[in-house]
Amino acid sequence: MRMVLLFGIVGPGIIAANADNDAGGIATLSTVGAHFGTSMLWVLLLITFSLAITQEMGVRIGLVTRQGLAGLIRENFGIRLTAFAMILMLIANIGTVTAEFAGVASALSLIGLSKFIVVPLSALGVWFILYKGSFKTTQKIFLIFSSFYIVYIINAFIIGPDFGQAIKDAFTPHLEFTTPFLMTMIALIGTTITPWGQFFIQSYVVDKGLALKDYKAEKTEVYVGAFITDIVSFFIIISTAATLYVHGIEINDAADAAIALKPLAGEAATFLFAFGLFSASMLGAFILPTATSYSICEAFGWESGFDTTWKNGKIFYGIILASIAIPAALVLIPGIDLIKIMIWSQDINGILLPFILIFVMKIINNKEIMGEYTNKPIGNIIAWITIVGIIGATVVLVAASLFGLN
Amino acid sequence: MPYLSQLLDNKIMDSADTVIGRLEDIIVMPKSGEYVPLEFLVVKIKGNKDFDYIPYKYVETFTSNEISLKFLAKKIPFQKVVDDKFLRLRKHVFDQQIVDLSGARVVRVNDLRIGNFSGEMCVLGIDVSTKGLLRRLKMEWLDAFDLLRVHLIDWREAQPLKGTLKLDIVSEHLKHLHPADLANIIEDLGMNHRNNLVQSLEAQNAANVFEEVTPELQKILIKHWGPKKSSRILSQVSAEEIADLMKTLPEDEAQTFISYLKDNKAKNVKTLIEYENDTAGGLMSTDFVLAHMDWSVAKAVHEVKRLSHTLRSIVYVYVIDDKGVFCGPVSMRNLLVSSPRKKLESLVKDFSISSVLHPEYKLDKIIEVMTKYDLYTSAVVDENNKLLGVVSIDDIMRHLFPHA
Repeated sequence: MRMVLLFGIVGPGIIAANADNDAGGIATLSTVGAHFGTSMLWVLLLITFSLAITQEMGVRIGLVTRQGLAGLIRENFGIRLTAFAMILMLIANIGTVTAEFAGVASALSLIGLSKFIVVPLSALGVWFILYKGSFKTTQKIFLIFSSFYIVYIINAFIIGPDFGQAIKDAFTPHLEFTTPFLMTMIALIGTTITPWGQFFIQSYVVDKGLALKDYKAEKTEVYVGAFITDIVSFFIIISTAATLYVHGIEINDAADAAIALKPLAGEAATFLFAFGLFSASMLGAFILPTATSYSICEAFGWESGFDTTWKNGKIFYGIILASIAIPAALVLIPGIDLIKIMIWSQDINGILLPFILIFVMKIINNKEIMGEYTNKPIGNIIAWITIVGIIGATVVLVAASLFGLN
Repeated sequence: MPYLSQLLDNKIMDSADTVIGRLEDIIVMPKSGEYVPLEFLVVKIKGNKDFDYIPYKYVETFTSNEISLKFLAKKIPFQKVVDDKFLRLRKHVFDQQIVDLSGARVVRVNDLRIGNFSGEMCVLGIDVSTKGLLRRLKMEWLDAFDLLRVHLIDWREAQPLKGTLKLDIVSEHLKHLHPADLANIIEDLGMNHRNNLVQSLEAQNAANVFEEVTPELQKILIKHWGPKKSSRILSQVSAEEIADLMKTLPEDEAQTFISYLKDNKAKNVKTLIEYENDTAGGLMSTDFVLAHMDWSVAKAVHEVKRLSHTLRSIVYVYVIDDKGVFCGPVSMRNLLVSSPRKKLESLVKDFSISSVLHPEYKLDKIIEVMTKYDLYTSAVVDENNKLLGVVSIDDIMRHLFPHA
């Protein structure tokens, strides 16, 4: 009984946090380490707090209202803002799924399989399992697979990088006003705190039937989840920094990123990396299309769920199919740069994030909705700093690219 | 006949065609099962901080092209406040979830149809279609080929769940829905609405609905209510259903819930919890009609009548002797065609002892026995042939398809 309870609680925070390090996550973190060494670790440290705070807000809203974020946005901000938010989310999520399929393609190209075979097969597989199979079991399998990130931690200790420097960088803000630096920084934020993560964690809490009395345990779990995710991120960055950055190797494809695992796995590094990237990508490819479709249908009052008929659930199934098929097709465009797709998708997420967070802030500070569970000042301060920080970074990025700084 | 979205924010003019303000909202007095007449226009007058209210009787024209009043502005008694029993269409109805009573589902209000009904301007219908969505967004051009259809729900067939509607009005209409339909609706709602809905039903009806919702939602609901509040509804729910639910809770929590039940029911639940889910013991129900060997048919029929309202279905009465040993079932049909004075003893003769189940029987064994003897329900007995409960086809179906 106790174990069951434990598993019940160790859920949303860990899953959402783990799924943050998906295909785009690995690509971004590897790039951060390879191109900028440990100089961006201070951003990672700051967004760990932001991640914890934003996810906790999602959990709290879910526990209090027992409603998804999309439905709440519709009821409180009217139809225009809802349509705006849903379109943004759809674009961001299609971008993210594209990154997942790019991840699948990159991973399996490492072991010599062509993307023209593996991507259509994976897309079909995702659809088939969603439609016919068990979502829960599949999710668990990929979640277990994706715990391969632990190898980065072991790997880092084998390399024995300069931990002192890393810790120092984590506490020393460092900015470069160049497009690559700012793009990568926004991508780093975008891969850690995601719009879909906000929708996902809230729905998860609602569906799991967690009650308000679970709040304390949930809060702890979310904080632990945020911490674990960023510990993993930390080690991916210092692994790539110590292997690629020091030798000036830039990441152009997955094979470059796989080099970072050589100290641990030697020649098997490629296989290990391929396996990890594939699992992480598939986890995202499973969760995102369904999560997207549920949210949109909730907002617009369309029928949803895999128990609806095709006739009643046209739009529900349509969105899922589209958010599998469009990304798969994009990835198949000949000669497209897969690593760039993965990082761009994180950029779109990073840019859209403030909008979603502002909705969350308005909801969580509304006494009519949240009663006694509105935000404490400290939560508001950290959340607003996050929002302002991301907006600031985006504005600087746009300005930098306008004035041609490079 | 305009839609509300085509009226809102339009200019309001007085009889001299002077613009006095813009339409912010419309106020109605909610009544269950009737088209509601418009009571007030909420007007935003330029320069005024608060809204003003104009009683609808002063309105001359009310179309999407023109909203005008009967008199000059100075002759119209603007009101500064209205009773908060009223319902505001934009604020309280737009974008909310409503229950579509005819379709027994939950939908979102995209727009409202306003029109004349026996001489009064009323809210007639609720547009839940994608076409309505586009109209609200002022993006109807997206449907240039007119491919989308408007889907209107009759206002009288819909039930807003928020705002100032009283709960008893809600239940009055929902009562007529089948519990399974109500359960579907509840699964689609937010927690507060769910809670209001279930709590507003009378205990027996609420229990029927409760039995129909998914096991996950059952858990959410009782956790939300807590043991004391739950007991009102749980007392009407069958012991087997409660036992299944309790098995999913941590032991101490389950104990608390059980302690709030009546002694008899608590005892039954405790017995049932001990059995595995997929065995006869776990599947069986302890609610059935019990009769004694020496009863007459008339007495058995009387017993059926007495218990009828508490049981979902009655196919057999189960006959025991004075030591509690199971002697056999007697079908309702047999009771109907037999002479009222006949003793039950004479009706259970051809009963085969191998057609009963034992609590440890697994699902395939149960199905084997029930198929072999063509049974809709089958008795479960212990090693001394004492009657423990009854497994029905329904129990098996529920076990195999818990979400159907």
